[in-house]
Amino acid sequence: MNRRRALLALGGFGLTGASAWVLQNGVGETGDGLPIRVETMDAPGSSAGNARVPADGTVTVVDLFATWCAPCEEQMHALGTVREEYGDEVSMVSVTNERMGGSLTRGDVRDWWRDNDGEWTLGLDPASDLMSALGAGSIPHVAVFDAAGEVRWQEGGLTDAATLRTEIDRALREQ
Amino acid sequence: MNRRDYLRTATAVGLAGSVAGCTGLLDGDGNPNVTLGEPDREVDASSEDLPYPAWGQKVPDVSVPVPLEDRTVSLRSIDKASLVTFFYSHCNTVCPVLISAMRNIQTHSLNEGYADEVAFFPTTFDPARDDADRFRAYADEMNVDTDAGNWHFLRPESKDRAKAVVQEQFGVRFDRTEPEDMDMYMFAHSALTFLVNADGYVERAYRSKSPDADQIISDLEDIRT
Repeated sequence: MNRRRALLALGGFGLTGASAWVLQNGVGETGDGLPIRVETMDAPGSSAGNARVPADGTVTVVDLFATWCAPCEEQMHALGTVREEYGDEVSMVSVTNERMGGSLTRGDVRDWWRDNDGEWTLGLDPASDLMSALGAGSIPHVAVFDAAGEVRWQEGGLTDAATLRTEIDRALREQ
Repeated sequence: MNRRDYLRTATAVGLAGSVAGCTGLLDGDGNPNVTLGEPDREVDASSEDLPYPAWGQKVPDVSVPVPLEDRTVSLRSIDKASLVTFFYSHCNTVCPVLISAMRNIQTHSLNEGYADEVAFFPTTFDPARDDADRFRAYADEMNVDTDAGNWHFLRPESKDRAKAVVQEQFGVRFDRTEPEDMDMYMFAHSALTFLVNADGYVERAYRSKSPDADQIISDLEDIRT
């Protein structure tokens, strides 16, 4: 047994499970540097410019996604459902940390958005500032902010509509 | 004068012994082989104590095939800054995040005009399933630009070779698992991404399942020649 292997055996370090979709990285320091501004894209339900995350004075649902992430497509269903139910009562933004360029264009992101029935604000976070601020170690990752801008709830992995409703209602009630 | 030229000059005129006395001129906390300083570590350990090639150590002396280019690359002979990580394409959890971070760095290199100064070596530890065709499809799925010329998927020839290279040489442990809810095998594995300088020394070993692409971009900028 060589040195490296001996150390591996001793340490047994850092094995990660393989059957779940999610990285359970543990949510680190939360809320650092929030709110931040993200660039927004011209797409269904969204216009080019920038947006404050979380939005000012309303409950905000933040969804972190990427176009290569299959569960993120599924996440869009729950988000769309909730969006229809709450309308303008709740602000919603989906943000990708993918860097535009190379073989990924804004058109590709827009296509993904259309294909998955996005109809709310679509943002870009190429430096992963928002991911860092939320302490997100995986995607999909959904966070619910109250109207005062505090994170009330967040979780990595797929979130269903029922959970989202519960957390949004709580944030609305306690605002 | 860049670091390597400086060192060449220093060595050529026999100044090597005096370098220790003027480390202020060099980064790397006195280690002449690396540019970045010793990383802050959570535990009090030196690079020699760690089960993987760490700061200041030479990248393992291994050669691994590049299926999409019909060649084999010797990791020590790469003469530019490079990033090496380990993955398998059927992975649903850690690997797409590792590859996505690397892809975002590749895109930064393309956008900022330094694509030819850096090379990316994502290395599979699942050679049974990850072949050239699979790599092509995976690159497409992950929006990797394989035409850029700086992205090179590596594939050890066999399962045994993968153990020898990935686990024993790079300290990235992986164990095959048979999840009950899936009809295929997966792996439990650790996550490491290495930043290697143009001289073949490890500048950083990022032990993260979701590497901070901006941090790596910044470290990369410091060591690019």
